[in-house]
Amino acid sequence: MNWKKDLEKIPSRTRAKLLKYIYMNDTICAVSTGNASAAVAIVRMSGPQAVDILNRVVLHARAWQPRVQIFCSLFDGKDVLDKALVTYFQAPHSFTGEDVVELAIHGSPYIKGRLLELLCAYGARPARRGEFSQRAFLHGKMDLVEAQAVCDLIASGNQAAHRLAMNTLDGKLSNRLTQLKTTLAELLAQIEVRLDDVDEEMAPLGEAFITQQIQSVLSHIKALAQTFSVGRLIKDGLKVALVGVPNSGKSSLLNALVGFDRAIVSDQSGTTRDTVEETLDVNGQKIILTDTAGIRDHAVDVAEQEGMRRTVRAMEKADVIVWVTDGSLGVSAAEQNLWQQIKEQHKRTLIVRNKIDQTVVKLDLPADAQGMTVLDVSCKSGQGVQELKETLVKDMDAAESVDGVLISNLRHYEALLRAQTDLEEALLQVNAGGEFLAEHIRKALFYLQDLLGEVTPDDVLGIIFSKFCMGK
Amino acid sequence: MFVCNDTYDVIVIGGGHAGCEAALSAAKLGARTLLLTQNLDTIAQMSCNPSIGGIAKGQIVREIDALGGAMGRVTDASSLHYHMLNTGKGPAVHSPRVQCDKKIYQFTFKHFLEVQPNLDLMQDEVVKIDTDDKGVCGVLTLRNTYYKTRSAILTTGTFLAGTIHIGTVMTPGGRYNDMPSNQLSKNLREELKLNIARFKTGTPMRINARGLDYAQFRPQPSDHPLWTMSHFTDVSTLEHKNFGQCYITHTTLETDKILRDNFMRSALYGGNIHSQGPRYCPSVEDKIKKFPEVTSHPLFLEPEGFYTEEYYIQGFSTSMPEDVQRALIASVPGMEKCSITRPGYAVEYDFSDPKDLLPSLQHKHVPGLFLAGQINGTTGYEEAGGQGLIAGINAAHYTQHKEPFVLRRDEAYIGVLIDDLVTKGVNEPYRMFTSRAEYRILLRNDNTDLRLTPYGLQLGLIEPQYQKPFENYQHLCEELCVGKMPTSDLELGPWSVEKAQRYAQVQQKYAGYFERNKKDAEKLAEIDHIKIPEGFDPASVRGLLFESAQKLRSVQPQTLGQASRIPGVTPADIQLLAVHIERFRRLQHAKKSA
Repeated sequence: MNWKKDLEKIPSRTRAKLLKYIYMNDTICAVSTGNASAAVAIVRMSGPQAVDILNRVVLHARAWQPRVQIFCSLFDGKDVLDKALVTYFQAPHSFTGEDVVELAIHGSPYIKGRLLELLCAYGARPARRGEFSQRAFLHGKMDLVEAQAVCDLIASGNQAAHRLAMNTLDGKLSNRLTQLKTTLAELLAQIEVRLDDVDEEMAPLGEAFITQQIQSVLSHIKALAQTFSVGRLIKDGLKVALVGVPNSGKSSLLNALVGFDRAIVSDQSGTTRDTVEETLDVNGQKIILTDTAGIRDHAVDVAEQEGMRRTVRAMEKADVIVWVTDGSLGVSAAEQNLWQQIKEQHKRTLIVRNKIDQTVVKLDLPADAQGMTVLDVSCKSGQGVQELKETLVKDMDAAESVDGVLISNLRHYEALLRAQTDLEEALLQVNAGGEFLAEHIRKALFYLQDLLGEVTPDDVLGIIFSKFCMGK
Repeated sequence: MFVCNDTYDVIVIGGGHAGCEAALSAAKLGARTLLLTQNLDTIAQMSCNPSIGGIAKGQIVREIDALGGAMGRVTDASSLHYHMLNTGKGPAVHSPRVQCDKKIYQFTFKHFLEVQPNLDLMQDEVVKIDTDDKGVCGVLTLRNTYYKTRSAILTTGTFLAGTIHIGTVMTPGGRYNDMPSNQLSKNLREELKLNIARFKTGTPMRINARGLDYAQFRPQPSDHPLWTMSHFTDVSTLEHKNFGQCYITHTTLETDKILRDNFMRSALYGGNIHSQGPRYCPSVEDKIKKFPEVTSHPLFLEPEGFYTEEYYIQGFSTSMPEDVQRALIASVPGMEKCSITRPGYAVEYDFSDPKDLLPSLQHKHVPGLFLAGQINGTTGYEEAGGQGLIAGINAAHYTQHKEPFVLRRDEAYIGVLIDDLVTKGVNEPYRMFTSRAEYRILLRNDNTDLRLTPYGLQLGLIEPQYQKPFENYQHLCEELCVGKMPTSDLELGPWSVEKAQRYAQVQQKYAGYFERNKKDAEKLAEIDHIKIPEGFDPASVRGLLFESAQKLRSVQPQTLGQASRIPGVTPADIQLLAVHIERFRRLQHAKKSA
């Protein structure tokens, strides 16, 4: 009470410092050079923990002298990530007025992405748009005219994030997050309503049920988090699984993709004798194609089982699934079955209508597959092959070309990881009592809320009131 | 017109659970206080069930008590049955509930008010709140008496333009047989321009226990060992009491059929009631309609007092006509032979949009006018009492030019309650639930004193003789939590070593979660300290999302923290506000220097 009053009397400059202490105690980081293709990139970190975090990411921790450039190795816990030129600016003599560290690194998207991931793992968080400038202003490093520019910057970020939340940028992602949110909110409602059920009239929730609900959300979140690791894709290559029933032309497609490009890097057998992996390069991006060929050599019943098992395994490892279907035939029952398997992977999926050089029948897709990207391809003439390759790398290109997207992905990624951590902890508390379980689920919901918009406890109460008859 | 010579600091309008706490706390803080009520014999009346506490509500009662309010002490003085709810679950959700003798409760509270220095009581109905350019300046009563005052606290409960429904019969009333306040309703709408809307609530029938076949019910005896609702009650004072008994039973298929056959005869479904009632604690016809798959609903029989055979039947709240109510009672095994003494009814009443309030519970547009209880859209004696206590403190502070007293969400359920009301508003009668509190692990019923008694002592609501024993108790708890044995025989007053040991045990169970909650809360508490300066219009900030700007304009948050809790306001909005607040401050500063 008293110090609230005292705060009012403090002059504005000191107040700004207080403001920093109280509102922005976090350490933030971002790539501050915009152009992805430049040879050198600068990653900037600002906040009270900047030096501590720096010391965890360099090979040898040291006492950093302000304004002295040091050439040193960055370490990702296992290997040297890159050599960097590091400069430390001590508060208040820095751009933001806080402790600032600048790391000049090589401009590879992988290195940039991985470095930000590391900084965040050690306690920094991705900066929001305009946040560096905001801090600079609040610390009196900028005048009022510049402040407007800061506000415009934040505002534009706000609109973009809003569009994202409003489903216009990436409707699929937000739909899926909404589904997860709903599942968690309903589970939480089930738990909360039992915490409030004093007469113990309600049957307890089975531990198996709770575990299964959490597991299902957890596996979706893990899958989602994986798709956000742009850095990994750039380094390791984009894994593409070609799936389809026998004779749909997967192997020809594989050959067409690799062959026409004349850029075969290797042609080796995969981990199992019957899986073929091919690597190709599209506009500098590595793509690894997996084809589950060769199953036709076995007896039919065994082959079908084994074929499906392998297909599922290939899909699990893949970043993108390409469903190859024979354009001259309709969608068969076996393909309907396959589609169910594809759907369960929750991965980016493309549909290729193959053999369009033959007589093509109407493509009769399952209802929930309609509206997906369908590409017409002829392996014979090569029609559509280049388009398919470009489609495969398109989203990755987008991620690389706009610096902001990389960071915002990292923010999503971080929120998902935190949600994941809480759900994993929740799994450990399934038999410990509703109030513990509720804490973690509520936290996980909060992180999804951060990505999506709003989940207040009232949402959960809303579910409780609509589904359960609550007494006084 | 008779103009009373004295000028009061605070006039409390209404003598229910909010009004009583408000009057007491204002008077204790040295404000010259007057409580005006239609009927002194219905002061602190339990209009619905004869019990205090319950899930999340019990925590609120202990919070009121820890701050120096009366509800807990009056509860113990009138108690006839104690039950700690949820003991099968973790201590964070244990909730105390006490059945009370209605009449003893009322007259004990009345006596608390009568002996309180600085507090006058007067039986009269307020018809008008008078304002001048500075805000509230007086009130006029039905007897044409005018009282001058610097502030007023409105605690009208269900009385503002109250309408009672039994079947298709509609009568004006705030409670059965008590007249509504219609003139005051008009004054608030037309002259003070409050945003008034209507809510509905209800109460079940009362029965005469003569003829009850108790063998058909599951008895629920009072808890043993004994405990007390108030921190200040000596448990030995309860030892001589003959505790009563509650009973649990269920509705039947026959009940179900009667309700179905008569749906259209209920006030709720017959078309007479249009206002929103609570979705929890629905009337029994509502339960059948909304949960058709549930064929048996629990009923809970609560004795109304030591010296009466009347029972309250929780779960049977209804607005059905009287003949249907008789049939309903007869449909429950064991109740066939008993008779209804008072029918259940629904009541519709005015409430004022709580988004128009500051966190101090003062109205934004009428300086000196404070609102507490059902007029803010809440239900429950406990929710009302908590608001009353805070409104009383803040009305006194207002007249004494002191800072408002505001509890944070991590400090008390009362903080959660008021923050929810003023930030999010209400669209149905608001009842507290533990799930409304994001810091549930911090807000337990076993640590209310440690959380709030320091405020109670500091404010002057708690008698100073408790200062030393409480400090000893605090110290003891700290020592036990780090594993030390209690060192010496300290004077602990109403507190005890056993209580500290229980606390330390619970604290240990929740240790990791407690720290985590605490950390989260600290981070958020800090942006609650950033005030939005006077004259700064958050909604004028360029670049805010349109929806956010609208919401900020309607809520007018007092701090950046409150702004961040408005549904739909984004983190980027808060970032923008932070920059603009600082910009505004610098501009003001430049103006002053020039």
